[in-house]
Amino acid sequence: MSNTFAQIDHIASAGTTPWHSASAAGKLLMALTYVALAVFTPSWGVLAMLLVTLFTILATARIPWRLILAAAATPFLFSLIFVLAHLRGDWDELLVLFMRPMVASFTAVWLVCTTPYPDLFAPFSRILPRGVGDGLFLTYRALFALTARVERMGSALRLRGAMAAPLPQRFGMLGEAVGTVVLSGFDRSHRLYQTMQLRGHSGRVCGCRHWLEITRDDFWVALTILWALVVSVTLWHLRTT
Amino acid sequence: MSHLHIPDGILPPVLWIAGLVLTGLLLAWSGPAVVKGGPRLIAYQSALGGIMLAVMALPVPITAFDYCMTLAGPVGVLLGPAPVFQVSFVVTLILALLGQGGFTVVGLNTLVLGLGAMLARPLYLRTAGALGPARATALATAASQLASTLGWVLLLALSVRLTPAVTGEHDFARGLFQVVRGAGALVVIPLLLAAVAIESLLGYGLVRFLDRVRPDLLPTPPASRAPGPVPSAT
Repeated sequence: MSNTFAQIDHIASAGTTPWHSASAAGKLLMALTYVALAVFTPSWGVLAMLLVTLFTILATARIPWRLILAAAATPFLFSLIFVLAHLRGDWDELLVLFMRPMVASFTAVWLVCTTPYPDLFAPFSRILPRGVGDGLFLTYRALFALTARVERMGSALRLRGAMAAPLPQRFGMLGEAVGTVVLSGFDRSHRLYQTMQLRGHSGRVCGCRHWLEITRDDFWVALTILWALVVSVTLWHLRTT
Repeated sequence: MSHLHIPDGILPPVLWIAGLVLTGLLLAWSGPAVVKGGPRLIAYQSALGGIMLAVMALPVPITAFDYCMTLAGPVGVLLGPAPVFQVSFVVTLILALLGQGGFTVVGLNTLVLGLGAMLARPLYLRTAGALGPARATALATAASQLASTLGWVLLLALSVRLTPAVTGEHDFARGLFQVVRGAGALVVIPLLLAAVAIESLLGYGLVRFLDRVRPDLLPTPPASRAPGPVPSAT
């Protein structure tokens, strides 16, 4: 999972496709449109076209297929369970049940893989209470260092034979090991707080304003939103009976 | 069992919209309480949120299964109700952005994870005097985990009841409940108890360690000392 975090973060920041250059505001609007259509449309035709569109978008955004498959694994599994539960239903019901989560999940993958986290969190921090908005930025920042530390700790425990101990002892030891990470996290947060104070922290992490900067590449995002709306209007009648 | 990995488009809209509204209200309630703690509390929340996410990525082998810890109970003890609800929201939102649970389910996931965690500190404060910090944390963690599991089960039952009658839907639900009631109970209940035991033992070990090396990080019952919102970092 930590490798997935790092890979997504790298692709979002280092990507050079038009999807990466478009504004975060436009991409968020597009994600909202696609997820809303996925959740509310009763039409298998709309969902199928959205899925094809998303495959094209993901391919042109040069997102590695392994990452797409990893991100889609959980929704795929759940969709499959629901499809199996409805095997006696009509084929179009099964299609809708399968495609809805897949459309929403591919939209999420596209969004996080093309938008760096400061741009992604900045609009959220405007509408969320102050502590939550700041928490989003700082938690994400803390995550990488702490994940690496937790993984090192896990390896050390395995190498030193902690995992061979009886179960109750094993989890007690794991708890103590997590305690060292909590201490390190606390000290880290205190240092971060002091650094923020030194840099003139005004009491709120504001995020950058890049997310609102409309670029020429937003044309493609607008076109994709428009395409989704046209597809919805045209194919809405292909619905479950 | 304290996090629904259900993607978008599965649960009925009335359920996830209610979840989002309720989460919004609880976030609005928690805002002023956290602002009083100042930026240092926000940094502390973020560190513990990061640890929750990092620990979730660490699979714990239980015989043939891997179990993902959440640390919601111990983090609830360390932070208190309002801050831990905010941390639960942030953790759930980041997970949703990574495809672990849908966007529309963020509210419900926050409620399942957060409401359990919110119970932890009040319970800890009531029992720490008699049991000591480590055992009180284990008890608070077990209660938190059970509350989250109860919320999880209630949500699933509600979603089945509120789902429009699609062919076979309720046959499936009836079949599922029969399986759980019958042979499933032999598997589900021991797994649930194992999950509660793991989290409790982790909380026990974590707080036993903190009690030895940094007791100032632990909240103290009102009778013995007035608890500070955030411990000092000396």
